[in-house]
Amino acid sequence: MKPSRSFSWATVSRIIAALFGGYLYTYAFTAAIAQMLPLEPRDALVVATLPAFVIYPLTILWAFACPRPRMVWASAGLALPLLLIGFWPQFLRAVA
Amino acid sequence: MKPSSLTQSMSWLHTWGGLIFGWLLFAIFLTGTLAVFDKEIDVWMQPEAPVSHVDQAQAAEHAISYLQRHHGAESAWDISLPTARSPVLSVSTGERRRNAPRQYLDPNTGEPIDIRETAGGRFFFLFHFTLHMPRNIGIWLVGLAAVGMLVALFSSLIIHKKFFKEFFTFRPNKGQRSWLDAHNATGVLVLPFHLMITYTGLVIFSLIYMPAAVDALFDGDREAAFGPGQPAKTEQQAAQGARNGRSQNEGRGEGSGELVALTPLQPLLLQAEQALGEVRSVSISHPGRSDARIEMRPVLGNRIELSKGLSMTFAGVSGEVLKMPEQSRWAQLTQRVLSGLHFAQFGGYPMRWLYFICGMASCAMIATGLVLFTVKRRRRPEAEGPIAAQLYHLAERLNISVIAGLSIACAAYLWGNRLLPAELSQRGAWEVRVFFACWALSLLHACCRERTQAWREQLVCAAALCVCMPLLSLATMTRPWAEPIRAYLELSTVACGALFAFAAWRIGQKKPAPAPRRQSRNVSQELLNAD
Repeated sequence: MKPSRSFSWATVSRIIAALFGGYLYTYAFTAAIAQMLPLEPRDALVVATLPAFVIYPLTILWAFACPRPRMVWASAGLALPLLLIGFWPQFLRAVA
Repeated sequence: MKPSSLTQSMSWLHTWGGLIFGWLLFAIFLTGTLAVFDKEIDVWMQPEAPVSHVDQAQAAEHAISYLQRHHGAESAWDISLPTARSPVLSVSTGERRRNAPRQYLDPNTGEPIDIRETAGGRFFFLFHFTLHMPRNIGIWLVGLAAVGMLVALFSSLIIHKKFFKEFFTFRPNKGQRSWLDAHNATGVLVLPFHLMITYTGLVIFSLIYMPAAVDALFDGDREAAFGPGQPAKTEQQAAQGARNGRSQNEGRGEGSGELVALTPLQPLLLQAEQALGEVRSVSISHPGRSDARIEMRPVLGNRIELSKGLSMTFAGVSGEVLKMPEQSRWAQLTQRVLSGLHFAQFGGYPMRWLYFICGMASCAMIATGLVLFTVKRRRRPEAEGPIAAQLYHLAERLNISVIAGLSIACAAYLWGNRLLPAELSQRGAWEVRVFFACWALSLLHACCRERTQAWREQLVCAAALCVCMPLLSLATMTRPWAEPIRAYLELSTVACGALFAFAAWRIGQKKPAPAPRRQSRNVSQELLNAD
C-alpha cells in the first residue's frame, strides 16, 4: 500500500461529500424510514434512528470506494427524494 | 488520492482517517475504560469515607434521625445510601439538584464527617464524552470520532479479507511487522467489542446526533416524542392520581402544625429492592406531614436496561405503594438496553473487568495503529517532500504526548488528589487542572526531546507514578488500606505501572538496533520496498 499521494482537490471533494453529503443522505434516509414504518410514531422514531449509525459510516465508505468523484455527489443527490418522503406531511402543509 | 482498487482506497481511508481520529479516540477509549471503575476511583479519592459495616436500612435510619435533628423544617430531604460499590452515606435538603451541597455522614453512627472535595472518577466519565469542552461541542466531536472509528473498523474488514489467518500470526521483534501484527491481533481479537462499544456509544446520544426522525414525525419537538401520556402508564397514573388527591386532602385536613412520624424504611427498602434492584437514593418530600412521599431510585443501570429516571413512590406515613416503576415500551427498551450495554453497570465485577480488559485492548489497538503509522514512515522521511516530513514529525510528537502523556496525566490526577491541600477551595477544579497541566507538559517535553528518549522518559514517568501510588497513600494517610477497594485500586495501578516499565525497558533495549538496519537499507533498498 502506498501512503499519502499528493494532495488533490478530488480528495477534498470526497472528504466533504463523505462528511456532509453522507450525513444529509443518512438524515433523509432516517426521516423517510420513520415516516414509512407502519408503527406508532414513538416506536418508529427508535426503529428508524438506530440503523442510522451504520448507514452513515457506510455512506462514508462509499464516498471513498466509488470510482469517480462525480458519482459520489450524484449519489448524495438521492437524499432529495428521500427527504420528500420523510417530510411529506410538512411539505403538504407548506403547500396548502 | 488516486485509488486504483477498492482495497487501496479503503486502506488509504483507514490510514488517514485512523490517524486523524486516532489521537482523539485513544483519549476517549482510555478515559472511558477508566470510567468503568468510576465509583471505585471515587472511593479512593475520598479516603476520609469510613468503612461501612451496616446495611442500607440502618444507614437510612441514621440519615433520617440526623435530618430530623438538623433539618426538620425543610420541605424535602434526599439521602444517598451506601451501596456495594460505594460505601458513602450523604444527605442534602431542599430541591433535588445534581450539584446541591451534600453533607456526608458516617453510615455506622450517623455523625457528620468531612470528606475532601474531589472531581472523582466522574471526571474520567465526563471527559470521555465531553472532552471537558462546553457540553455540546464535545459531544459532537466525540460522535464524529466514533463514526471515524466505525469507518476505520469497516474499512479494515475490507482490507483484511483473511483476517482470521492474520489473527494467528504474530512475529515479535520484527519492527514494523510486529506493530502490524499487534494492531491486527488486538483489532480482530476484540472486534465484536470495538463494534459494540462504538455503536452503543452513538446510540446513547442518538437523538442529538440524528434528529431526523424527531424532525419528521414530531416536527422536532422532543418533548412530544418522549413527554407525557405513555399509554402503558395512563391507567396506573389515573389510579395513582385518585389516591394522591385523597391523601393530599387528608394531609390538609389534619393541619400542618403537628409532626407525623414516618413509616420505618426497612420494609419499603425491601419492596423497592425487589422491584428496582439495589436502591441508591431515597427522597422524602414534606417530611413530618401526613402527605409525606418517599421516592426510591435504583443504582443507575443495575440491569442491562439503562434505567435512568426509574423510581418507585410510597406514602410516607402508611408505607403504601403509590407508584410502581414504569415499564419501557419495546422500542424504547431496545434503545435502553443498547445504552446499558455501553454503560456496563450490569453483571457485577466480572463484567466490569471484562469491559476494562476489552477497553484496554481497544486502547492498545488504537495505540499500535498510531505507532505503526509513524514506524512505517520513519524509514524514508524525505521521500515525500518537506511538508510530509513535517507532518510525520508532528505525528510522532503527538503520539508520544497522547499515548504516554495521557497516561501520565491520569496518574498525576490521582496524585493531585492526595497532594493538594484538603482545605483548598474548588479543590475538584484544581485536580482537573493538574490533569491538563501534566498533559500539556508532556506535549512540551515530547517536542523538546529526541523521539526515543521522549518515549522512554515519559513511559518511565508514567510507570513511576503508577508504581509509587501505594507509597503515596502510605505517606499521606494513616490507614490507607482499611477499605479493600482502595487497596485493589492501588494493586491495579501497580500492575499498569509494571506494563509501562516493561514498555520503557523494551524501548531502551531496541536502541542499538537501528544502526545496522540503516546500513542494510542502503544495500538492499528493493528488499525493504517489497514489504
